This record gives sequence, C-alpha cells and structure tokens, in this order.
Amino acid sequence: MKKRIAMLLAAAMVVSSMATAVSAEEAAGDVTLPREETLYFAGQQWGAVNSWNPIGTNQNNSMAIAAGAGWRELMFETLYMWNVMDGQLYGLLANDDYAWNDDMTALTFTLKDAAKWSDGTDITAADVIRTFDIGVEIANGTGSSYGPYIESVEGEGKTVTINAKLNDAGDPVNPLKILDFLELTPIAQAAWIDTVYERCGGDATAILNDAGDDVVWSGPYTKYFADDQKVVLVRDDNYWGQDASMWGKLPVPKYIAHTIYADNAAGEVALKAGEVDVCQQFIGNVQNLWLEDGLPISTYYEEAPYGVCLTMPTAWFNMNIPVIAENTALRKAIAIAVDYDSIIANAMTGQSPSFADVPRSLMNPTDGEQALYDHDAVADLQWTGNDVEGAKALLDEAGLMDSDGDGWREYNGEKISLNAVCPNGWSDWQASMELVAAAGQAIGVEITTLYPEADSYNAVFTDPDQTEYAIYMWSPDASTPSNPWTRVNQFMGKDYVGVTNNWSGNWGQYVNDEADALIKQIPLTTDEEELKNLYTELTKIYLTEVPSFSLMYRPSVFHAVNESVWTNFPAGDDGRNIPPADCTDGYGVAALYDLELVG
Amino acid sequence: MKNTLRQVFHSSKFVGGFVIFVAILLTLIIYPLINPGNPLQQIGVGTFAKPGTYVSLYDATKAPTETLRLPDAGDKRLASSLTEEDKVAMVEWFTAVEADISDLDTNDTDKMLEMWEQYYDPSVKPKGMIRAKINYFKRLDAALQELKSGDTIIIAEEGEDGALVESKKILDTDYVNTKSVANVKSLPLGTDNFGRDVLKELVSATGTSIRIGLIAGIVATLIGLTLGLLAGYVGGFLDDFIMFITNIFTVIPGFVLLILISYSIGQEQRGAAVVAVVIGFTSWTWTCRSVRSQVISLRNRDHVNLSKLSGHSLLRIVLTDILPYIASYVVMAFILQVSSGILSEAQLSLLGLGPKTTEVPTLGLMMNWAMLYSAHTNGSWWAYFPVILTITLISFSLNLMNTGLDQVFNPTLRD
Repeated sequence: MKKRIAMLLAAAMVVSSMATAVSAEEAAGDVTLPREETLYFAGQQWGAVNSWNPIGTNQNNSMAIAAGAGWRELMFETLYMWNVMDGQLYGLLANDDYAWNDDMTALTFTLKDAAKWSDGTDITAADVIRTFDIGVEIANGTGSSYGPYIESVEGEGKTVTINAKLNDAGDPVNPLKILDFLELTPIAQAAWIDTVYERCGGDATAILNDAGDDVVWSGPYTKYFADDQKVVLVRDDNYWGQDASMWGKLPVPKYIAHTIYADNAAGEVALKAGEVDVCQQFIGNVQNLWLEDGLPISTYYEEAPYGVCLTMPTAWFNMNIPVIAENTALRKAIAIAVDYDSIIANAMTGQSPSFADVPRSLMNPTDGEQALYDHDAVADLQWTGNDVEGAKALLDEAGLMDSDGDGWREYNGEKISLNAVCPNGWSDWQASMELVAAAGQAIGVEITTLYPEADSYNAVFTDPDQTEYAIYMWSPDASTPSNPWTRVNQFMGKDYVGVTNNWSGNWGQYVNDEADALIKQIPLTTDEEELKNLYTELTKIYLTEVPSFSLMYRPSVFHAVNESVWTNFPAGDDGRNIPPADCTDGYGVAALYDLELVG
Repeated sequence: MKNTLRQVFHSSKFVGGFVIFVAILLTLIIYPLINPGNPLQQIGVGTFAKPGTYVSLYDATKAPTETLRLPDAGDKRLASSLTEEDKVAMVEWFTAVEADISDLDTNDTDKMLEMWEQYYDPSVKPKGMIRAKINYFKRLDAALQELKSGDTIIIAEEGEDGALVESKKILDTDYVNTKSVANVKSLPLGTDNFGRDVLKELVSATGTSIRIGLIAGIVATLIGLTLGLLAGYVGGFLDDFIMFITNIFTVIPGFVLLILISYSIGQEQRGAAVVAVVIGFTSWTWTCRSVRSQVISLRNRDHVNLSKLSGHSLLRIVLTDILPYIASYVVMAFILQVSSGILSEAQLSLLGLGPKTTEVPTLGLMMNWAMLYSAHTNGSWWAYFPVILTITLISFSLNLMNTGLDQVFNPTLRD
C-alpha cells in the first residue's frame, strides 16, 4: 500500500513539473519579439510594473506612466506635447491654437476631431473635465500639482476652457502652471474613470492603487507583456493619430520593449551589444563607444556635452541642522571650495558645460533661460569653485575656527561634522559627494559620505523634519512651460516647507520671506524687463544665502542610440527640431514616426 | 625555537610565500618614500587616464629643440592618423557616392587622399548610411585635413590688443629631449575614475588591506582560541554552551552574517578598523572548533594531569601546558585568517558595504569604484586588474606560507 502511494506521489510530481515546464515555455513564447519590429529601451524601467492606472499613484511604470523631458506619450497622451528645444507646445489631443483671455484667467482650446479612445469613442471635453476633477477629488499627481492653480475645467463637445484660480486681488494664481497642465497631464477616459470609481466605491486610496488592467488609452501603443524581466508595449494599429490631422501614419516599431536590467552597467553592456536601441542612461565617456570601440552608437550632438542639459543636480543644505542654518558662511564656504571642474570631468565625464562656461544661477544652460537674468549684476556673487583659500577666509571671518588643534573647525565648541548623502549605486552622484567631502577636508570641515539604499534615502530626504542628512542631492525641475519659475520656487519657495512626503521642492526647508514674495510675483509679471529684474534679485539672494548649490548641469533624459537595427534617430543638426527625449517624451515621440531599419 | 625556525625556513614553500610577502611589505614601505604625497589626491581631471608617461605639452613647446631627420617619421605619422581601417572606410565612402574605384590602389595614399578631396562632401548623406557612420566620416575628414595641413605648427600668443602674435614655429623634424621638459609625470598604472594615481593608491590600499587583514585575523584568532581553549579544557556545560554558540555561527553562512552586520551598523560608523573587527567577529568559528578538538586530546596527557595535581590554576595550565602544544597550529590558522580577512574586505567593499570611502583607500574600495564606473566594460583594465593581482599575490603568499608551515609541523605530512 505504502509503495503504491509513493508511486502515485512520484507520478503526480512528474506530471505537475511537466505542466509547469510547458506553461513556462508558453509564457516565454509569448514575448519572443521579432528584432526588426521592436525598439528596445534601457534606463527607464527598474523593477516590475505595478499598475496601468493613469490616475493612480506609485505605478513604477516608466514606459507608460511617467514624464522625463515632457510626458511619455506612448500609451496615455497629453493635450499638448512639450518641445524642450524650442520651448513650444505642439498640439496632440488638442489643436495647436490654445488661447488665453485678456486677463489670463481662462484658457480655451479645442480637441482634435479625429482624437479617439482605444474603444473607438471620441475624446471630448468631458474626459478632460473628469480627469481634472477626479485628480482633485482623490489628490493624485494631477490634483496636487494643478489643483492649487486651476479653479475648474469646463466645456462641451470638443471645446475646453480651463479657468484659473484667482487670488484675493482677482489675478490668476499662476498661469504658467496651467501650461504645465497641458503638457504633463495624461488625459484619461471619463467612462473608464467612472468604472474605476464604482469598482472602488469612491474610495480615494483604492482608486489610487487600482491596477487599471482594463484601462482605455488613446496613445499609439498599449500594454502587451510585463513581468519582472521586461515590459513590452505593442502598437495599436487603430491609433487615431494616423489621421492626417495628426501624424498621418503609425509609428514605425511594432513593439516597444524594455528589458529590466540590474544596473547601469548591465544596460550599457546591452547597448554596446546592440540589444538596446535607445538608452536613457548616463554612460561615462560615451564618446569612447564610437571613438575607441568603433560601435554604431551616437548621441544627439557629436561633441561634448553630447546632449541637451536641462537641469542641475543640486546639493541641498539641511536647514533643520542648527550649524548649517545659523552659518551662511559655512554654506558658502563649502560651496565655493568644491572642485566643480572635477565633478564635471569625473562624474559627468565632460557631458556638462562648466560653471565658467555657464555661470551659476537659478537657470538651466538653455539660451532662453539664460536671457532671463542680468549676468553682470550677479557676476561678483558667482563662483566657479575650488576656492579653498577663499573658503577658509570666509570661515575664519565668521569665527568658525579650529581651536583645539585637531584639524577640524568647531562651532559653539563642538566639531562641525556633516555628512554628504546620495543613494547607493548612483555612481555619478556618489562621485560628486566624494568631491564635496574632499572640499570639506580641504577647508577643515569634516564631511563624510554616506550612501544608503535608494528606498531609505527617499524616505529620509522627503521628510521635512529629518536631521539625519546634512548635505544631500536631488535635481530640481528640468524644463516645462512654467520653468524657470518652478525651479526657482523649488530652490527657495515657502510652499514646500513642512510638507510631509515632500517630492515637490525645497528639500532643504529653506525659508526666506523676501525671496518668497518675489517668487510669488513672477507668474503674474508679463513685462519682460520687470521679469528680468525679479529673477536677477532672486539670483542675488540665492547666491548670497546659498541654501543649496548646483554641482553640474545635466540632461533630464539621456539619449544614446545604437544604430545596429534602427536608424534615423533625431540629431542636433538634422533640422527636424525633434528633441533628444528618448523618442518618447513630449514632442520627442515624433522620432518614432521617422525611424528606419538599417540596410 | 632556533631549531624550529631553521626547520621552517628549510621549507621551500614557506620561503617562497615569505619572500613574496616581504617583497610586498617592502614595496609598501619604500614606494611612498620615492613617490610621497596623499594617495587620494586627485591629480587628473577626468576619468581613467591610460598608463604611460605624460609630458607637459606646455613645457615641451618651450623646451630647446634638436632637429632629427628620422627616415620613418613621416610614415609613422601617417600610420597614426590613417589606419588600414580608415582606408577601408574611405573605399566604403567612395562606393556609397558611386565613385569609380576600379583602378584604386589602397596603398597609394596620395591617390586616396586626392580622391577623398574630390568625393567627400560633408553635406551629402548617402542613402541608408547610419548617423554613427556619417559622424565617423566627418572625424576622418578632419584628421585627413590635418594631415594635409603641412609640416609646420605655429604657436601664437595673445598680444596686448588681443590679436594673436606668432611666437614659435614647430617643424615636423623638431624633437625635444624629455629631460629638458620641466614636467614629465610617469603614471605606470594610469589614473582611476577620480583621476588618482592608481599605483600610489594601490600601494596605500594594500597597506590598509593588510592592516584590515591583520586586525581581522587577530580578532578572529583571539576569539576562536579563547573559546576553543575554554571549551576544550573545561568541558562539561561550558563546552556544550560554547559549542552551541559556535554551531549556530557555523550554520549561518559567515559572509551573509558579515553583510547583515555591515549593513546594520551603517556606513557612517564603518571605518577600516570597524570593518576589520566585524570580519574578525564573523570568522572565528573554525579556529574555535579545531582548537577545542586539539585541546580535548591534550587535556588528559600526563603533564597536564601533573599540573592539575600540583594545584596550578586553570589559566596557568592552559597557558603553559596546553597552548604551546597547539601554538604552531594557531599561527597557521592566524595566517589563513589574515588572508581571508583581506578577501572578505574586498568582497564587502565590492558590494558597497566596505569602509566609508573618503578616508582611506582599500583594495576592495578601489575595485568597487572601478566597477561603479564600468572600468570592466570600458577597457580601463589598469583600474582593477592590478588590484586583483595584488589581492591574489597576498593571499597566495600567505597560503603558501601556511602550507609550508603545515609540512613542517603536521606529523602526518612530515617527510
């Protein structure tokens, strides 16, 4: 009897293992993609996708629900596409002609007649209205980003009007933010939102966490396969955009695939091997890939900085720590002692203009933003770094001396000991923090580096009351219609002080009422001279008070392409005005319609 | 004692290991005297300068020149700017623009250049040619233009009115003696990702790593020895208890424990010494077990019993009657502990759990940074390979010494 049971058990095991083997094979068979029809990405998706819900939160879905140099337009589309190269909004779901009323309290536009959802229904004003309203109701990204600036969205049929929130004086709070809404908010279908709403019984948390498997989309791609190994989107051949009023054709690659790599090095190896076509990763000495290795890899520009730098990764001083908050001299001394040329040469391997080329301010290096402040007025305040003697003099003057002879300076009798923190494995940031620490050593301020895992880093640096990290890195906003205002607000605005789970800005909790008042004036200022004055004043405050200091300039997305399979990617001199936005972000998505197979 | 040492130094294996180890130690002492300075100083701006000798171009243009007419200078110059691959690529371009290449001889450089002049046009984009290739031809064209530009390079300085004033002409037959150039820097192993001199850093890191190994070895051996002696000699409940603890530590993989402890004490607390102690704390178990088993076999020997009968204290018996008999074994175990301590540090640092990075270089940290900067994928072998070689040499020499000692002291292996 026992024997028989054992036999049975063994047989059952064999059968079940065969069954699993078969199903595993089937699953693998599903995602064998023809190379000639697939565009492979790297550097966007790290880890498995959580959800496909465009009105939710924490999706970890970088190919479908994310923004880089503009919204990623593959599956969910915005009203307008942002082009970082010319600072223009290009119509996507909406027609090109948006118009403000005279006092900029309302903005009106029309939706494209051809614009349709994947289920064939028209995209109408009701969808835009519902997308905004649900955002405010459940406080998702859209709601919290634009709720404070938009009073209401209304309209009928294909015509939509966005009404600005007004302040006490009757002026719109911030018209710039409304333009951001146009290019950064993915529009979701009203009917689908209702379905989710019902399914979740109107519970905000449930809606935010809904997996959205039944989602209705408007973009040229939709979900095809996703697990912890890769994410694949497939082209929707019924995409409305093939109408002559939009692209007039379908995007070229049938599949968009993103293998989930363990780290940058793995993605880089895959790019070199031609397994990745478009790589959104920082690659040190990227020029060696073609100069030395002779690989068919190129970047947007042939020469350094190879890409378009739109943001400045910044070291934030934690104002919760008394020695930092009480000593402007200490902040400035550290900032001027740092060797930025080394950071740019080491951490960015030259893929950034230097602070001598583009003097530090609140602006990114694009011509448009650089023209917004008076360079001569702040020239005395700007620094290019590596000024150890100047830093020492500043500290001596402020009375921060080394009185006990141990080589480190003290404040109120206690050794000044700070840490410089960024997430582990972010090698370029880690190198920067090493150089900040080295600067500290040079001027007698103990700075040690600390590299926690990204999860714990995120939890700490977004906490407004933390005192664990003294100097830590994060990047302010790159390029949107509301910049540089948004970035300036992130550097010195009071809006974000004390906000819990603060992903929005002012991570150092710096408070300056004068600066805040100036920042509040900017959105309502249309006179260019006046605007320039305001930005110049703010730059002066920023460079004097040093609540944070930028370490380098950096693209918001990297864009290196391997032309083993696909070619005709956008490039700086091709006259097509397509930004280096990974063929996915904002107007960068236009690149997908022009791709060609090699040979 | 003298006899023992003589025996030990008769073992060729021990001597081999010893010589390598002493050579490494001597390098650690002597090299910093030749090349003093902070090993963490960033001399290079930029990453991974190749190994070699760097001559200051600035000084070289000011140094006195000699004229040398070397017969193959022109060919070498040509070869360095126009490789065979470039010639193949030129032909590829000619084909792409449908030039007549029926009677083209690729060895006839002048003819090739002439044709290039005739057919290359940067504004033409041959159909189907990828951008990387188009960029390549642009660079090739620039290199070829330089080749044609003549035999003279003119150095000009900015005059008072901002205009350039010619200050010197450099001919293709001008040579400078490296001795007369004020600044020549030899970087036998190039620079690392931070622009540090790899050789200098390597020497300093080896010192740190050996220190870490020594501390780890001492800690592990002390713990293992003490517990082993106690457990073996006292026996009874204490033996059970110590073995219980030891078994627990044996069952949990040491390296996992090491990772967990390193992670939990946090990077801020992790100096080199702390890491060394942590390594020591997680690697004492097998020393403890083998010391215990040897002590058990010793504790009923006659001389031990005699000592007991004479009323000697536990400490005295252990130290004078037992320890000397296992001393040779303990020394061998210690050597292996040092070796594995160095390896553990390297492994930990490679995972980013090593000592905090701004203070001292260690072998593991050098590899960690090389890996973070993809030295292994971008061909910068000098940033990690010498480190691996050094680790290998150290542990090889230590293991060789251990094997030599084993042959001398282990009765079963003795000739």
